Amino acid sequence: MKKTQFIFMLLVAAALVSCKKPANYGDLTVNIDYSVNGKALITDSLCYCNEAGNEFLITEIQWFISKMELQDERGEWVSSEQKIFYIDTDITESQTLQIASIPVGRYKALRFVFGLDEEDNRTGLFTDPPESEMFWPDFLGGGYHYMKLNGKFLNAEGHLAPLAIHLGIGQNEDCTEFYQNYFIVELPIDFTIKENTVNQFDLTMVIDNWFRNPNLYDFNTFGSAIMQNQAAQQALKENGKDVFTTSTQTQQNPTAMKQENLSEIFKNTMQKAAPKPHFWTWENVKERFQGLRFKDLKFKI
Amino acid sequence: MKAPNNTIRFCILTAAVLLTIAACKPEQTHYTPTPYELEQPSYFPSRNNIPTDNPMTKEGVELGRKLFYDSRLSGRDGTDGIRCCASCHHQENNFEFGAPTNTHHAMLPLVNLAWNRTGLGWNGGVATLEDMVLAAVTSSVEINADTNQVVKYLQKTDDYPELFWKAFGSRDITFINIERAIAQFVRSLVSSNSKFDRYLLGEEQLTEEELAGYELFCTEEGADCFHCHGGGGLALMTTNLFYNNGLDDEFNDPEDRAYITGSHWDRGAYKAPTLRNIAVSSPYMHDGRFTTLDEVINFYSEGVKDSENINPLMHHVMDGGVQLTDIEKAQLKAFLNTLTDEAFLNNPNYSDPNH
Repeated sequence: MKKTQFIFMLLVAAALVSCKKPANYGDLTVNIDYSVNGKALITDSLCYCNEAGNEFLITEIQWFISKMELQDERGEWVSSEQKIFYIDTDITESQTLQIASIPVGRYKALRFVFGLDEEDNRTGLFTDPPESEMFWPDFLGGGYHYMKLNGKFLNAEGHLAPLAIHLGIGQNEDCTEFYQNYFIVELPIDFTIKENTVNQFDLTMVIDNWFRNPNLYDFNTFGSAIMQNQAAQQALKENGKDVFTTSTQTQQNPTAMKQENLSEIFKNTMQKAAPKPHFWTWENVKERFQGLRFKDLKFKI
Repeated sequence: MKAPNNTIRFCILTAAVLLTIAACKPEQTHYTPTPYELEQPSYFPSRNNIPTDNPMTKEGVELGRKLFYDSRLSGRDGTDGIRCCASCHHQENNFEFGAPTNTHHAMLPLVNLAWNRTGLGWNGGVATLEDMVLAAVTSSVEINADTNQVVKYLQKTDDYPELFWKAFGSRDITFINIERAIAQFVRSLVSSNSKFDRYLLGEEQLTEEELAGYELFCTEEGADCFHCHGGGGLALMTTNLFYNNGLDDEFNDPEDRAYITGSHWDRGAYKAPTLRNIAVSSPYMHDGRFTTLDEVINFYSEGVKDSENINPLMHHVMDGGVQLTDIEKAQLKAFLNTLTDEAFLNNPNYSDPNH
């Protein structure tokens, strides 16, 4: 009898477990954007000034976010299935991080690794571009750049000089000791994941904050070639703590913003209004000239 | 009892003969190309640019190789300057012309292009290798041919219709299939057996001088080459992207990268070539202005010119270059020489099949 009772109880327990209501999930989209001095980033325009008084422009920002997590109301951290995101201002689709299957509910915090931590940052992790183009030489600690922020700035002599804010593993002078310069960002949010809804929020990189707090970052001192300069790396690491903000508000129309700012910016910019070169696409040319000779067409091969 | 046995034997024999005759049918009736396995080093990109409508086959690659080396690709048979791809793309020179050059411009090498993703040519204006074949065959300064004439000419030959059948399942030659075959051959040109490759694989150590050169190559305080030309983490030895590297401070070339993008900031920018086999890839730069590696190293050391268009990755432009000592220059050159892949430059599978 005891054996029969035991089997019966086991069956009941199994039935109860199998009847447990399954968790519901929603998908999350994180929109990446950038601001400088309170306005949306416009690349290739010399229209920005940092706290140290350096006028600068930005051509591109390429960076990694990893280990993104959301904290629910009970304090539990829910991880993104995709562990590493490569983000590039020149690749539109990379600016939208898609995170699938987050349990529905309210979340109160977001955290992520800016760059890559020791576990992920290994040479050879990426063989395909564009991620592989972020490689950080083994001599300097290996792995990948956390970020490349490239541009130009007006130096103390008034020349337009290279600006290359490249963050990654630091080294001592003879490259015998290495320093992890990634950092963890944790931001409060008030955000609810709903089922069957496109849940999204904005994650903004406030670029000017890289250069002001707590360290005044002067491009005349640390403008470029900082991969072997741990003082510069450390300053950026410390400044990076308040570089990111989140917002669940509707994203501004980027086109309208760009046009509005452009008219203002062109008053002060040094960018020369060069005549736009004649533009052609290979597909057009191929279609027009198939079966003929390229008599007048110029191309460089 | 013997008669039935003989009948059975006769029937079996007849059937066997018929089967044999059927098996020995002289003409192939089914188009059965053999897939070509592209060499794929583990540290190369996993994604290649093989188009879905032009998968590589052994027959396609072989046909492309024959066309690459055959002057009949010009569609002419006289002595009026008939040319083919190999007229200018020499295997011993990393499939470019070599120096001194008498071509109308310096060429980019045809090596590891199966992993190129940024367009072809110095300004990246040609989208695919298939398109590049069309461009080269029809260019008045290259093969200078008429595609219709090329097709008609090859169609009349004894050998090509059968080879096109084997590669593409049709004896009717089209220029599209000519493009596809040559593109397949060019994609098969893989260089991954230099001393540096063996170093990456842990099979061979670099000398002290070569290692010092590699360290210079990979450090911003050294020669600062790696952002554009790769290294251990980017073994194609190029990003295949476009940079203004400070060769000039005035830009009048209507065919630079700005011609394609329309961006003022791309004036004077050109594709960073791979450094694989760079020692045999002279002349250097988009206009072939340097003929030796020493000249190139001297330029990056102390000849870089400032302009607002120079790429931000040219970190040392305000000093005129990376300022290498003579010893460092020798070390850097020693490292660059480790990128020479003799097995590639002498690979019989890439040589002229017509001789």
